[in-house]
Amino acid sequence: MDDQDLIRSARFRQEREADWRRLETLVQEAERKGLQHMAFAETRDLASLYRQATTSLAIAREISLDKALLGYLEALTARAYLCVYAPQQRLGGLLQRFLTQGAPRAMRRSWLFILLGFLCLGLGTLSGYLLYFENADWYYVFMPTDLAGGRGPHATTEALRSVIYDETPVKSGLGAFATYLFSHNTRIAIFVFGLGVFACAPAILLTFYNGLSIGAFIALHADRGLGLDLAGWLSIHGVTEISAICVACGGGLQLGAAVMFPGDKSRTEALRHAGHDAVKLALVAALMLVAAALLEGFGRQLVQDLTARLVIGWSVGALWLAWFVFGGRGRS
Amino acid sequence: MIWRRKNKRAKDRPSPDELVPPEGVTLMLPIAGVGVRLAAQITDILLTGIGAACLVILLSVLNLTDPQSMVAIASLLFFLIRVPYYIAAELAWNGQTLGKRMMKIKVVSHDGGPLTAHALVLRNLMKEAEIFLPGTLLLTLDAASPVASLTSLFWVMLCLAIPLMNRYRRRLGDLMAGTHVIHLPVPVLLSDLAGEKQRVNVDRRKFIFLSHQLDHYGAFELQTLETLLRGQSTPPSAGAAQQREATIEAIVEKIRNKIGYADPVPREDRLSFLKTFYKAQREHLEQRQLFGDRREDKHYAKSSEEA
Repeated sequence: MDDQDLIRSARFRQEREADWRRLETLVQEAERKGLQHMAFAETRDLASLYRQATTSLAIAREISLDKALLGYLEALTARAYLCVYAPQQRLGGLLQRFLTQGAPRAMRRSWLFILLGFLCLGLGTLSGYLLYFENADWYYVFMPTDLAGGRGPHATTEALRSVIYDETPVKSGLGAFATYLFSHNTRIAIFVFGLGVFACAPAILLTFYNGLSIGAFIALHADRGLGLDLAGWLSIHGVTEISAICVACGGGLQLGAAVMFPGDKSRTEALRHAGHDAVKLALVAALMLVAAALLEGFGRQLVQDLTARLVIGWSVGALWLAWFVFGGRGRS
Repeated sequence: MIWRRKNKRAKDRPSPDELVPPEGVTLMLPIAGVGVRLAAQITDILLTGIGAACLVILLSVLNLTDPQSMVAIASLLFFLIRVPYYIAAELAWNGQTLGKRMMKIKVVSHDGGPLTAHALVLRNLMKEAEIFLPGTLLLTLDAASPVASLTSLFWVMLCLAIPLMNRYRRRLGDLMAGTHVIHLPVPVLLSDLAGEKQRVNVDRRKFIFLSHQLDHYGAFELQTLETLLRGQSTPPSAGAAQQREATIEAIVEKIRNKIGYADPVPREDRLSFLKTFYKAQREHLEQRQLFGDRREDKHYAKSSEEA
C-alpha cells in the first residue's frame, strides 16, 4: 500500500512516528539516569523533540480520531514534560548547604517562635514546680507512670540518689529506659511540630504539659535536697533534648501562626511559606534529639561526677547556640 | 507551567488533571486518587516493617537485647528506618518511593516545576505527624482513656478528610510542601488500524461506502469499533471463539441495517468489512472535523439542532 492510499491522519502519524519513538527512548533514559548524566546531544534532542511532540499533540487533537494515537501522544508528552521541566535536582552538597547555611539562618529568622517555645516550657516548669510544693500529689497527675521509673514522692531519698548516680548499673534495664525516653521525647517533638498546624493550641498545650512534668520532677528532687545532683543528671542530655522540644514547638507555632494569620496570602500559600523555615527547625530538632540520645546513652553512664556532668551538658548547649548564632553569616 | 487559576463557578473550572506548559498545549497528568495512594502507602509500610523486623531478629539472634526492651527497640527501629526511607527514596527517585513505583504514581510540584529537597522533606515529615502518630495512638487504644481515643479518632478523621475536600487530593503535607500526586502516564503506541495492510484478494471485490452511508455515526462509535477491532488481534480462548464470531456477526448486521448497505457480507469477509468500514468512516469523520463539523457521537444531528 503506498502513501497515497493512506488517509490524512495515518500519513500524519507515519511521518512523525520515528521522532516519537526516539523521544520515548530519551524520556526513558532521562528517567533512569537523570538529565545530568546524559550526553549534550541527547538532552538537546529531548527538549526539541518534546516541543515537536506537543505540536503533534495539538494537531492530532484536531485532525485525528485514532484513539491509540491520541492516548500515546498524551502520555508521551506528559512524561516528556516532567523530564524537561521537572528534572531531578542535584543532591550533592545538600547536607552541607543545610548545615552551613540553611539551618542557622532559619533558626535566626524564627527566633521569636523559638522564644515562645521556650516560654511555654519555662512557664510549664514553673507551674509544675510550684504546684508540687503546694501538694505533692500533683506529681502523680503530671508524671506519666512508665516514665517516672518508680521515682515519686513515696520513694526514699536514697533510692532517688541511686538512680541519679547509678550506683548499681543494670545495663539492659537502663538501655530500655533510654530507648523509651528517646522515643517518648521524639514523639513529643513530632507531635508538637505536626500539631502546630491546628492553630498552635495543641503545640502550646503539649509543651506546657511537658514543662509541668519536668517541673514536678525537679521539685521532687529539690524537696529531698537533691536539686543540684538532679541538675547535673538532667543537664548532660537535657539541655540539648529540652531545647530540641522547644525548637520543634517553635516550628509548630510558625505553621499555626501561618494558618491563623495568613496576612495577604491565602492560607495554603502562607502555610507553604512558613513551611520553608519550619521544616528546617524540625530537622534541627531531630538532629538535637539524636545528639541528646547519644549523650544520654553513653555520657550519663560514663560520667558520674556532678561538675563534669554540668560542664558537658552546658558546653554542648553553648555549641548549639554558637552554631545558630554564628553559622551561615558569610556571603550568601 | 502554570496550573490554571481556579474559577468560582465549578463548571468553568478546568479539570485538575490539566496542565498548561509554556508550549501552550494542554497536557493531561491525572491526579492519583486516595485509594491508589493508600495502596502505595501500605506497600511502603510493609517494606519498612520487614526491614525493621529483620534487624530485630538479627539483634535477638546476636543476644544484644533482652525480651523486656524488645518492644521499645522494635518500635524505635521501625521509626528510625521509616523516616529516612521516605525522604531518601523520594529524593533519589525524584518523587517516587518503592510503593509509588509499583503503583505507577509520582509526586510532582504543584506549580509544575522541579521538586525541591525542601518540599520532599516537609511532606514526608508531615506524614509522620498526620498518619503514623495517630495511627499508633489508635493501635494502642485502651478503654481507660476515652478522651485520648476520641481525640486521636477525630484527628485521624480530620487528616483523612483533608485530601477528600480538595480537588487535587492533597493531604496536609502536600498543601504545605506545594506538591500533589499524579498517575504516571504510560505511553504505549498501538498500530494504526487505518494504516494496516489488508489481505484483500484480487478476485474478491472491495467494499465501497458512499458518503451518505457514513453520515450515521460519530467519533464515539468509531472509537468503540476501534477498540473492538484491536481486541480481534489476540487469539481467543477455546470457548470464546464462537461467542466472538457471534458478536462480529451481530455488529456487521447492525451496521448494514443502519447505513443501508444492501449486499450481504459473507462470513469470511466480516472482519475485512469492519476494517474497511472503520477506515472509510474515520476518513469521513476526520474530513468533516477539518471543516469544523465535529461529530461527537451518532446524536450529533440532534444536538446541533438544539444549539
